Amino acid sequence: MTSVIEKESTLTSQGDDVVLSVNGVSKKFCRDLKRSLLYGMQDISAEVLGLRQNVDTLRAKEFWALKDVSFQLRKGEALGLVGKNGSGKSTLLRIIAGLIRPDAGSIEVNGRVAPLIALGAGFNPILTGRENVYANMSILGLTKQEIDDRFDEVIDFAEIGEAIDSPVQSYSSGMAARLGFASAIYTAPDILLIDEVLAVGDSRFRGKCFRKLHELRRKNTSFILVSHDSHTILTVCDSAVYLNLGISKAIGNTPEVMQKYEEDLFINDFNAKNGQTYLEQPKSEDSEFSITNIFFRNAKGKKIDSPTSGEDTYLCISCKVDQDIDNVGCSLIFNELATGGESILSMNSYNDRKLLTFTRGEHELQIKLSHLGLRLGVYSLNIYFKRDTLYHLNMFEAFQFQVLSKEVASKSLFYQPREWLLVPNNPSTRFQ
Amino acid sequence: MSQKRQRNSVPNSRILAPRLTGKVVYRPESQIRRPRQLLWEMWRDLLASRELAWRLLVRDLSAQYRQSFLGVFWAFLPPIVTALGFTLARNNGVVNIGETNIPYPAYVMFSMALWQTFVESLNGPIQAVNQAKPMLAKINFPREAIILAKLGEVFFNFAIKTLLIVGMFILFQVSVSWTVIIAPVALIHLVALGTFLGLFLAPMATLYQDFSRALLMITGFWLFLTPVVFPIPKSGLFGSIVRLNPVTPLLVTVRDLTTTGIVSDPTGFWVVSAIAFVGLFVAWVLYRLSMPFVVERISS
Repeated sequence: MTSVIEKESTLTSQGDDVVLSVNGVSKKFCRDLKRSLLYGMQDISAEVLGLRQNVDTLRAKEFWALKDVSFQLRKGEALGLVGKNGSGKSTLLRIIAGLIRPDAGSIEVNGRVAPLIALGAGFNPILTGRENVYANMSILGLTKQEIDDRFDEVIDFAEIGEAIDSPVQSYSSGMAARLGFASAIYTAPDILLIDEVLAVGDSRFRGKCFRKLHELRRKNTSFILVSHDSHTILTVCDSAVYLNLGISKAIGNTPEVMQKYEEDLFINDFNAKNGQTYLEQPKSEDSEFSITNIFFRNAKGKKIDSPTSGEDTYLCISCKVDQDIDNVGCSLIFNELATGGESILSMNSYNDRKLLTFTRGEHELQIKLSHLGLRLGVYSLNIYFKRDTLYHLNMFEAFQFQVLSKEVASKSLFYQPREWLLVPNNPSTRFQ
Repeated sequence: MSQKRQRNSVPNSRILAPRLTGKVVYRPESQIRRPRQLLWEMWRDLLASRELAWRLLVRDLSAQYRQSFLGVFWAFLPPIVTALGFTLARNNGVVNIGETNIPYPAYVMFSMALWQTFVESLNGPIQAVNQAKPMLAKINFPREAIILAKLGEVFFNFAIKTLLIVGMFILFQVSVSWTVIIAPVALIHLVALGTFLGLFLAPMATLYQDFSRALLMITGFWLFLTPVVFPIPKSGLFGSIVRLNPVTPLLVTVRDLTTTGIVSDPTGFWVVSAIAFVGLFVAWVLYRLSMPFVVERISS
């Protein structure tokens, strides 16, 4: 477990602004249902007879959902919790909320915890939105007086309008979620646990939610935010914890943790063996024009395995042509694999007014990409060669490559080359 | 969850629900090793549940009756139907039932109302936990609240049945003794017995469905071991079984206090009541200790 702890934090929670202290917490679960229920009965008996203690061993078919996780949260701090699906994030939140018990370790909580784990828990579909807000906020721990005080604000925030007096079963899922979110957020807790629920509503509503969260943060509410969206975590959280299969792989300030997370997420799935992934055999049937190799060169012309973001790179395509062909155009389409495979970049030599003429023999087509704009990640490239814009010569689809990055995970979606300059008071003279 | 509490921590704005402010520690060790703390927490949660239980009760009753055309009329119907059935059977000699001290239809209806209240209080905790599953898995609220809300429903339903009973008594000109005023106290004891058994079974019934099914079967049969549709047999093996049935003294006492004014089995009544209340407390402790383990095994 790599710990990049920026502030020196001791494990005792005697610091007066530490609101949450998680110490060596472990939790095990069982995947087999019948056995799980049996273990449940065993645990209950052990609890009732006073035999339960710190557990270190696994019974048959059990696995560690969390193993030895420790971190601290201070007042007004926002902590991001990242990890793949099934890494133990929700389990950790449930233990912090006091819903389930740890099998080892301990958690100290100093303040009121509001879990935003499910919106609209306690909603009864037959009752109106108004009645359900009362029920929901009551379950979250407010007295009638407090609910009355905040009621109007909750309704305004949720933007339900007149439908507030209709039964909740007539609401769209977005409306119900907004109502749930609004009622949860106005409970003014000391620690807010947000489990991937910020995706509800349109972007305007989401913006409103973030602003409200920001307001809460200024009032010294601490957060733990679980999200798959790295961008959200990078912009909102000061520190982060990266969980993988229940083990905390990185703790510390957000950019470093996110770097490790993204590397593991994208690049470990991608088996980049040196050079082998992009060597290919010439296809026998395309004798006219065949693509023999695709690879990258760096600025000095040396062949490299993976290009680096921000550096000058050459994309090289080796071709073998058995007769003279002119008026050839090359089309490149880049897709980013990690975030859903969308096409993010496309280039076409025709549009760039560069006609390629191939004489008989072997050639290497080099496309110079200055200050490569692609960010850290894994990409898939489709290459198409055509003659006279119509006649299909050859193509290669799904050439996968990874892009490395020099800088620590940035909040940017692409790389922008830049220079920082400070000029005296007559700036227009510079641009002559 | 063993919890240490320091009262000089975060000032809390909620007098009724101070449970989650202040410093709290969660550990794996059994809470039963710290009995004083456990008892303190139980008391605190009971207080904190009052308002929530009321709100849940209002929510559940509104929802139940909003979607129903006949509404509260459904609380009357079962006793009437059973009474009709048995009266018919008895009058035609199909079943051999002895003489009751009040007119038979009134007897059956009144006793059925009491029996049903017992069965509702028995099923109450199990149903409460079942219905609250989505909430239990996601929000930390005082779990006593759902049990209290169900208890409220049981008493509400009985209150409606009271109208029926009063009507019946007037119709059959049954005389009511002055002790009817303390009859509700005996009723509370009856409900306590049902709640004790229900609360004891609730955590396990959430894990294994066998318990609910068995309970359904058993209560069906149990009806005939209780003097609901027949008077207490004076002798015989069957009579002994009926007398040993814990529900018998409680149900009979409520009936006696309402009609004759003379309690026929005071010893039985007090013994079973003691068992009921002590058992209720024990079941409460067990419920508290076992719910977190149940929550982690049910779906999230």
